[in-house]
Amino acid sequence: MNKYTLSKRQAVNELSTFYSFIAGFLIALIIGSIILLAQDKNPIDTFSLMFRLSIGSVNSLSSSLNKATPLILAGLGIAIINTVKLWNIGAEGQIFMGAIGVNFLYINLSLSNSTIFIILLLLSAFLGGAFCILIPALVKVLFGVNEIITTLLTNYIVIGLTIYLVNGPWKDPDSLNFPAAAYVGKEVYLPNIFGKLSYGFLICILFTALAHYLKNKSVFGYEMRIAGGSEMTAVYAGINAKQKAFLAMLIGGGFAGLAGGVELLSQTHRVSTGISQGFGYTAIIIAAITGMRPIGIFLVGTLFGALSIGGSVIQTIGVSTYIADIIQASTLFGALIIQFFFNYKLLKVDDD
Amino acid sequence: MIDIQLLGLLNATLQAATLLFIAALGELITEKSGILNLGVEGMISIGAVAGFITAVNTNNIFFAVIVGVLSSAIFASIHAIVTVVLKQDQTVSGLILTILGLALSSLIGKNYVGKKLDTKLESLFSINDPSNIFEVLLSQNIIFYISILFMILISYTLKNTMFGRRFEAVGEDSKAADSMGLNVIKTQFIATCLGGAFAGLSGVYLTLSYVPYWTDNMTAGRGWIALALVIFGGWKPYRTALGALLFGFLEALVPRLQTYGFELNPYIVKISPYIITILILVLLTIYKDGKTGAPKNIGIPFFRENR
Repeated sequence: MNKYTLSKRQAVNELSTFYSFIAGFLIALIIGSIILLAQDKNPIDTFSLMFRLSIGSVNSLSSSLNKATPLILAGLGIAIINTVKLWNIGAEGQIFMGAIGVNFLYINLSLSNSTIFIILLLLSAFLGGAFCILIPALVKVLFGVNEIITTLLTNYIVIGLTIYLVNGPWKDPDSLNFPAAAYVGKEVYLPNIFGKLSYGFLICILFTALAHYLKNKSVFGYEMRIAGGSEMTAVYAGINAKQKAFLAMLIGGGFAGLAGGVELLSQTHRVSTGISQGFGYTAIIIAAITGMRPIGIFLVGTLFGALSIGGSVIQTIGVSTYIADIIQASTLFGALIIQFFFNYKLLKVDDD
Repeated sequence: MIDIQLLGLLNATLQAATLLFIAALGELITEKSGILNLGVEGMISIGAVAGFITAVNTNNIFFAVIVGVLSSAIFASIHAIVTVVLKQDQTVSGLILTILGLALSSLIGKNYVGKKLDTKLESLFSINDPSNIFEVLLSQNIIFYISILFMILISYTLKNTMFGRRFEAVGEDSKAADSMGLNVIKTQFIATCLGGAFAGLSGVYLTLSYVPYWTDNMTAGRGWIALALVIFGGWKPYRTALGALLFGFLEALVPRLQTYGFELNPYIVKISPYIITILILVLLTIYKDGKTGAPKNIGIPFFRENR
């Protein structure tokens, strides 16, 4: 009788994450097809429709890139925080807080120069996101409280705060029964580069480069990696690990806050509970699937943005939008399964 | 003569606590074996929708409970395959299990939003308007008694039986357990699926009695509070139950404060469970000085070196 044993591969293929992702995506499409078949829908027709409506024309491609923008920005925030080996499950709340930050400053300030005003509003969004993660970050570095649970729970708190604001102090009487804050003025809308493509996407490209630099090229990134490693190494290297972790969390939260700010100024133009439809959770999938690499997050985020647009338009033919969520989550599960075969090999051993 | 409001508070406390406790108990078993499963929220959701759909279609409440529990156990096996067998990151896998579970349950339950149940999970004895503590205790839902039974059973099993001691052995030092001849993979696989089964039981309690209807995202973060409860309970069933009572009490108390003359913003009432959870978690971590008593091997995949 033969037995099998596992052996860790010494050298893991550098592109293994990429290959795993592709394979995972194919697995997810198969799973999506099965679900569609179960609902008496033709998978090939549905997927080609999704494809056409998400990247088939300049207009739809622009929508997809706009949709990808908050996903990518939030994903980058998660990746930065993961440099110190911590998790940010609170991107969803930080996105809302970013939008709240924008509206807060907009109400309390008026500037004639709209370019500077927009920049200040986006800065306020960044600070909003950072503020949102402040408590989890503080109690993490001071007392070691599990950041996964605290950042997750802040999502519910911030969404509760949003509901309060749009039903209470910020409620726009003109929005009738729909609870929402008043629209911001047209002068602070993020303009479009061309067609429907917003300048938000340009901001997204800039911040991808910034995150890549921060994480992989800068001294701070190096210090963050050491801070996320063993405590002894950090002490030996003279690095204040807690300080780096704290900073990384605030910056990462800020990225997600910026996502909310960009979404408000370019898409929704007002605070409501519709600012994010689970972007912060999709961002976790994107960040994890790419092994927390900023460039990868940009690429996969773009694909997932298109998938979300495709998912929302196929509603019209009676297919649930959740199919996009399921494909995204299944992609990661598929990729994890394939990644195993890159990391380990099965060896046959003779029974003795 | 006891205040009728106090009895109502007790009743609501027990119900909220039961819901959290069952899910926490399952996660406790999983974590004892060294596997962290952050997918509790998704697993509760799957059990909730599967149980509800079965109940609506068959009117057989017992069958609905079984289907809900099994669905979540099978769903949890995804996590078991990915993390136990294939040794991938437990945090990532668990998070995605939650996202997938919420999306999948919304998809499956789409046509059942707003449907009404003809039969509910009933209490053991039907007592209308209980007038003393005993009557409140006796009028609880059957799941309440089941959870007490499980608490005793699991605490005993984990401490005193060969079957139960395995979980701790594997969770504390999987390599040592392996060299003693324990099947680490099998033990962790069972523990993960058991965790799913209990989350499923919590889910069917939610849709077949506590609420009882189905709507998207109705788990409302309870899975995460259950995760916090396991930490609160220091991975011990009785302490976890105490924690569940405390959380349940606070969850039941805050909306009732108004009747005791406190003016409260209803929006703050809504988010209070999450604030309370964070607060308790922080106080507990300070009190224990970071030493929570977590299983030593939690999150670390078992891998037998080549010999």
